[in-house]
Amino acid sequence: MREFLSNKYLQTVVRIVIGAVFIYASVNKLFNPADFAKAILRYDMTPLFVVNIMAIILPWVEFSVGLLLIFGIMKKPVSIMAAFSLVFFLIALISAYARGLDINCGCFSLEETSSKSDILQRIIEDFFMLAGTYIIYKYSGSKKELETINSVNNINEVK
Amino acid sequence: MKVFKQIIFIFIAAGITGVIANAVNPKGVPFIMDKNIYALDTAKKKTEKKLPDFRNDPYDTTANKPVNNVFNGTPNKEGFIEPENISGTLAKQLFDRNALFVDARTKPEYDSLHIKGSVNIPYEEFHNLPVDRRKEMMRKYNKDGIIVVYCKGGKCEVSIDLAYDLARLGFRSVSIYRGGVHEWKESGHPVEP
Repeated sequence: MREFLSNKYLQTVVRIVIGAVFIYASVNKLFNPADFAKAILRYDMTPLFVVNIMAIILPWVEFSVGLLLIFGIMKKPVSIMAAFSLVFFLIALISAYARGLDINCGCFSLEETSSKSDILQRIIEDFFMLAGTYIIYKYSGSKKELETINSVNNINEVK
Repeated sequence: MKVFKQIIFIFIAAGITGVIANAVNPKGVPFIMDKNIYALDTAKKKTEKKLPDFRNDPYDTTANKPVNNVFNGTPNKEGFIEPENISGTLAKQLFDRNALFVDARTKPEYDSLHIKGSVNIPYEEFHNLPVDRRKEMMRKYNKDGIIVVYCKGGKCEVSIDLAYDLARLGFRSVSIYRGGVHEWKESGHPVEP
């Protein structure tokens, strides 16, 4: 299992998929903080004074994380950040779903159409991506690291 | 620890980029959200949703009998129904159905150009009156009728202020037409004189 999960190609695919989702989700918001602020407002979770600050900063964090994931730069910290933002989104989404808020999640598009199935779908997707970030965090590493791990394992096996 | 430092670095770098991008963005937002915008946005959302109901509801601002409140708003904590922000299209529909249009600008401005049939209630003067006088002034209008408050258009705010004043007096269907008389005229709708 470890070998499969730390497979170079699997790692790359997971990274690129999650990175692409992050970038895709952020591009609409990057230059549209006003609409994104409204999307945040719809969740009715955040105090009014942080809404705009979130709308200004979050899309860029999302975008950077996506970009760094795709290029495989600083994998560990980036995967932690991705996981944190996913957990953050999950909390928001689940609470919105539990409260029966009939809103568009503001995940990808910022239109105000509402559909609850949309939110449920996003929650499921989020869980999958969370698993992906875990795989990146746990099993990514430089070749050297992996070789050391493998050799340690081999030694243990020999013993 | 190294990982933690890297996270902080990425976060700060992304944050600074965001602040810069927002500063150069013509559609940028201030750091703290304006409460007014918040109220207007929620009002707008309600209006767009309630639109189908409105089409089925006959009303008349001058009728003596109570008329259904088209927006079906519920009173807020302060006990009044908050004004709705409406689009030009809806404003025209309301106009066609004899809603009361109120011009919140000063008398000279009103005299030079206003929406046909609208009445002039200059906000500055109205707001400085004691509440009793305001009530007396507005007694002739139906509390359940639809009132559309407007001003010049663009960034003018007296329409919002006046709308809230009217709502506080107990008018249940006050709406704000932010497009104002300019947008109205540009759309080719009737104006006076």
